[in-house]
Amino acid sequence: MRPLRNLARSRLRTVLTITGITVGIWALVVFGSMANKINALIDGGTTYYSTKVVVSDASGGQLGTAPMSIGTLDAIRRLPEAAVAFAEVSGLLDPTQTTGFGVPQSYAGSDAGADQGREVFVLHAAQGRLLDATDAGADHVVLGSDLARSLKKAPGDTVTIHGVPFAVVGVLEPTLTAPDTSAQMPLAAAQRLYAADLPQVLRDRIPASQLATDIVVFPNAGVTTEALAAAIRAAVPGVTAMTGADFDRNVKSSTAIFSAIIMGVALISLIVGGLSVINTMAMSVAERTREIGIKRAIGGSRVRVVRELVAEAGLIGLIGGIAGLALGALVVFLANDAGRSNGTILFDLTPATAVTAILFATFLGMAAGVVPSIHAARLDPVAALRYE
Amino acid sequence: MTLLEGRDLRKTYRLGRRNTVDALRGVDIEIEAGEMVAIMGPSGSGKSTLMHVLGLLHAPDPKDGPAPTLRFDGRDLTRLSDRQRTALRAREMGFVFQQFNLVPTLSAAENVGLAAEYAGERHGRARAKATEALALVGLAERADHRPSELSGGEQQRVAIARALVNGPSLVLADEPTGNLDSRRSAEVLGLLRTLNREQGRTFVLVTHDPAVGGACGRIVHMRDGLVASAAERELAVA
Ligand SMILES: Nc1ncnc2c1ncn2[C@@H]1O[C@H](COP(=O)(O)OP(=O)(O)OP(=O)(O)O)[C@@H](O)[C@H]1O
Ligand SMILES: [Mg+2]
Repeated sequence: MRPLRNLARSRLRTVLTITGITVGIWALVVFGSMANKINALIDGGTTYYSTKVVVSDASGGQLGTAPMSIGTLDAIRRLPEAAVAFAEVSGLLDPTQTTGFGVPQSYAGSDAGADQGREVFVLHAAQGRLLDATDAGADHVVLGSDLARSLKKAPGDTVTIHGVPFAVVGVLEPTLTAPDTSAQMPLAAAQRLYAADLPQVLRDRIPASQLATDIVVFPNAGVTTEALAAAIRAAVPGVTAMTGADFDRNVKSSTAIFSAIIMGVALISLIVGGLSVINTMAMSVAERTREIGIKRAIGGSRVRVVRELVAEAGLIGLIGGIAGLALGALVVFLANDAGRSNGTILFDLTPATAVTAILFATFLGMAAGVVPSIHAARLDPVAALRYE
Repeated sequence: MTLLEGRDLRKTYRLGRRNTVDALRGVDIEIEAGEMVAIMGPSGSGKSTLMHVLGLLHAPDPKDGPAPTLRFDGRDLTRLSDRQRTALRAREMGFVFQQFNLVPTLSAAENVGLAAEYAGERHGRARAKATEALALVGLAERADHRPSELSGGEQQRVAIARALVNGPSLVLADEPTGNLDSRRSAEVLGLLRTLNREQGRTFVLVTHDPAVGGACGRIVHMRDGLVASAAERELAVA
């Protein structure tokens, strides 16, 4: 390959330039994968919240798990706007884990079928089965895909949660969002786990079977989630009622800034990489002035000169892109592998991201090669031949 | 038949606002098809400049005198675009330059094949024609050598093979033997004469070497940017 041969002329320079592109693409791949993961989380959340209102205790904050009494459930069920309402209990698998990055491992309990078929964020079992009515009251659990991998458990195994042995009956398909790191169990089991961790005062006040951390409410036909949330806020004091719009407002705005920052970092490294390609190609054109003169003199058209040099610059981009993608994929793999043990899967390297990275690198190289090659094509062949 | 005809060819190099060099000051020249012509003259007399104008690498100056004309094979070349001139160079002309003739990263065969590709041949066909042209100049076994692995004379012969690969009607060579010792020079000259006689190719050679001039059918003498008449030459010698 002729462009490759030209690149091999000045190996050190070529390697340095390719390294520049590699770093930029590496950043793009790693940060892009991170943004993918975040977007998957948000999309999952958007779908999850799209058709329902999630009610929780106001003192626990938006996503907090301060306990509520199941009595609230009855108040909500009486509202004409509410079609279906049921209690959920969720908590951290490891209560000592402070909020880190990603979704913490958790357990979540609700009665199977309590949503009466209204849930649009449907889970599927990859192994074993989902929980059903027959599990009520039993210490059975279905593990999220990442959680199952980090605990190394499969259906038939036993997993101990807060000192209680649970029988694993199924493992979920990956959702790329919250359920991946959670353990689903019947409501009663979750209530017992949750009650055991409560301070004595609270435990005395609310019996375990009356505990809930949040209440999921689906609206009646013709009622928007916003209207339902407003009705709940008016009727039940001391609760927050979260809708899809609230979720988008709270979560999307903060992650949008985060995504913008990480993509900004990646773009800056690529601009630097692009400039170094321009510099390299300009030097390369200067060194090859006489050769370009020869080619023009013996009948090489300007288009050919440009094409040749742009191909060379594109090749630099392509090699840098492949190297950057390989390194990025390695980092993503190692980080996800390390994170799996504590349930923090931070990256999602999608095929689209990989292809974009390679194409972007190639086009960046080619674009950077355009200016020096047009300069080369415009040289006077005779002057170029005389160039020292 | 007249292959190439130039009239009122002028070329002024501008180095600065006041500092100009009149390299050609109104040259009239005719080259017949099948001729082998030597252009001789002192250094700086405008020989290379004339070659560049005849080879469409530089346009003659249109101003400060009668409009220049340049006709090739009956066609008027004065108004061609860069793209048209480039295509004409690729298909109808062959060039041999005094120095730095070859692309250093390409093998002899690739250098020759490049010219064939520029003339529109596909890669495989260009390669085949290159092999043929190299055989013609006696370098078949050197096809895969890079220029740095060839002697000066061999490099010059590769350049000649490249100039011939497209079967051009005109070959322009600027001091093709300038860098060679007398034996190599005689070899290259012999080759050019054979090609001229057997294939009827037209050659225009710029040279300082009286032996090369003597081998050509006609000598055009240049002096101070003009073609010198026989009488002027007598005067200059005296
Ligand atoms: N690019 C240029 N810029 C300015 N002046 C030039 C340029 N090229 C040639 N000249 C001048 O034009 C004149 C003619 O140059 P040219 O190269 O045609 O001479 P020549 O007859 O080929 O000489 P030589 O035998 O030394 O090669 C010289 O005085 C030279 O200095
Ligand atoms: Mg000269």
